[in-house]
Amino acid sequence: MLFGGAAAAASLHTGVADARIRPEDMVPLIGPGFRPTEKDEMGLWKEMDRAEEEISGSNLVIQDPKLEGYLKNIIGTVGGPAAHDFRIYLVRIPDFNAMMFPSGFAVVFSGLLLRMRNEAQLAGVIAHESGHFLRRHMIRSWRDMRRKTDLLAIGSMLAGIGGAGAGVYLGDYVQLAQLGTILSLLQYSRGMEAEADAMGARLMERNDYPPIEMANIWEQLIGEETASARYRGKRRRRGSLFDTHPSEGSRMVDLRADAQELTVAGKAYDSRRQRYLSTIAEIRPTLLDDQVKLNDPGASQYLIETLAQDGWNGLLRFCEGEVWRLRNRPGDALRADQSYAAAIAYPDAPADAWRWHGIALMKQGRAAEAKAAFARYLTMKPDATDAAWVRQMMG
Amino acid sequence: MRKLGLAAALAGSVALSACVQTKQYADMQFTPPQGDYKLLVLRPDVTVGSLTTGGMVEPRADWTDQARSSIVDALRAQQAARGGKVTIIEHRNEIPGVTAQELADVERLNAAVDESIVVHKYLGDYLPTKRGKGLEWTLGQDAVRLGQKTGYDYALFLHGEDQVASGGRIALGILGLAGCIVGFCAPNIGGQQQLDYASLVDLKTGRVVWFNVVIAGSQVPGIKFGDLRTPQGATQMIDRLLGRMKPGTGVTKGVVVTDDPAAKH
Repeated sequence: MLFGGAAAAASLHTGVADARIRPEDMVPLIGPGFRPTEKDEMGLWKEMDRAEEEISGSNLVIQDPKLEGYLKNIIGTVGGPAAHDFRIYLVRIPDFNAMMFPSGFAVVFSGLLLRMRNEAQLAGVIAHESGHFLRRHMIRSWRDMRRKTDLLAIGSMLAGIGGAGAGVYLGDYVQLAQLGTILSLLQYSRGMEAEADAMGARLMERNDYPPIEMANIWEQLIGEETASARYRGKRRRRGSLFDTHPSEGSRMVDLRADAQELTVAGKAYDSRRQRYLSTIAEIRPTLLDDQVKLNDPGASQYLIETLAQDGWNGLLRFCEGEVWRLRNRPGDALRADQSYAAAIAYPDAPADAWRWHGIALMKQGRAAEAKAAFARYLTMKPDATDAAWVRQMMG
Repeated sequence: MRKLGLAAALAGSVALSACVQTKQYADMQFTPPQGDYKLLVLRPDVTVGSLTTGGMVEPRADWTDQARSSIVDALRAQQAARGGKVTIIEHRNEIPGVTAQELADVERLNAAVDESIVVHKYLGDYLPTKRGKGLEWTLGQDAVRLGQKTGYDYALFLHGEDQVASGGRIALGILGLAGCIVGFCAPNIGGQQQLDYASLVDLKTGRVVWFNVVIAGSQVPGIKFGDLRTPQGATQMIDRLLGRMKPGTGVTKGVVVTDDPAAKH
């Protein structure tokens, strides 16, 4: 009976059954220069001020004025009424994620910069985070949690006393109520994520970014996760009742519908691709290196191939080689050698591509060509830590 | 976030008891600072929240400010009575010659070291190689550099957190008490939980020479063992935390410890 009850409670809370939130309903709930006036929100902000102090001083923050200015510019554009109140920090964590904190500062992970194909997609993520702040999600979520835990505590106490008076044990129902509370809190969280998606799409459209790009983000992520899971012999993880966010598939579908609703026929939208590519060009080798070292060959290969849709270059071929080499399944060494050979044909091949190409040539017994490759490596990187070893390899 | 986990673990370790608990550890050769010493107290890390009916902690900015100023005043009064020169800083950029980032690094390092001390001294994960050796932890050269740059002899790091049971929580406790009539006695749903800890660092050597934890909590909401917001509560907390500093076991037993195991005294 308990199991049936749980299933009944659970069926009330599936994310799929919820209606799509319409972007035009998403109006900002705060204005410029907003400061909290209610006690609980003020307390939350104060805690967050301390958190911001620690995060902004962390050694994970990427201190690059060009990137900082770029992100600040984007959030200053899509941030709605609070555009000039936001702070934004870029941290060197190679995962796809971004978060907004209750006091108005956002943290963006470097993995996001690798996965976004253009400025519109990046602006979409930042607009989503801004939406959390503009719709006051954190304090609403906190108050929701407070309300529900209060009800659960009072209800449990009354059930205990009432049950004792009547001579009935109600503990199982209390546990069911506990599960129901948790599921309800998670559903509220999913609802707010959907609100943020809708608000983000609206903010994007307002600033002439094509809103369909937000849906494309999820399509790309689904592709990446499928590739990653396939390599590991697993299926991509589908959404569950215990998720704080709606499933990726449902987000993509809802955002496509949002984009259709919002897009004005005949208006000129610009995804600002070139500006985005030129801004992140310098940091891209670092981002790719971090991604390769995550040891997720399925995802890394998918990302490299996606980036290669703009055209292969030395860096991408080299990273492809690294993915094979570190994967090290039968036949991967040969694949890696082929990638390194392809990489050095491009002018932008990194120094390490020449090094690994030289090692591949040595394995094949082509000593003279190997020597030339090593020499090229040493000219590009004279103070490499393994220079002595390479010189010894050259003979 | 780390401090949250630390606090929760410490509070959980004494969940069954209802009163005031404190236990201090010190370096073998530690003697409480006396006479003419210079003490630097970094921003006391204080938070006071309200315990909601459902058991969540609602952070309260006004109570936190109240508590922080009460604690700072109590600390000044207590140190004035002991002699020595005390400087309590409010922001990280208040010390001339030391950047805010350098100070932040020392504070974070201290937080990590304190976490290690709590795990290995208070939570039962005792290290066999550290038995009978007092407190063998150090902040290293960063603390020594700080001491050299600023001229202080000791640095004190303080953390205090408190919860005040809200009206709803107290009412729930009373309801639970009323349930005793029908045989469902549940007044002990958990009330105020105060957790304070302090670490004293010798800036000449960089070692953590003294560490103390005070846990004051009640299982029945409404019963308090000290309120950090009031001057009396803050004075009481400072007295419990810092007022009974004992010398290290080596000093009281007359044992001299050197690094050379072969030497005998």
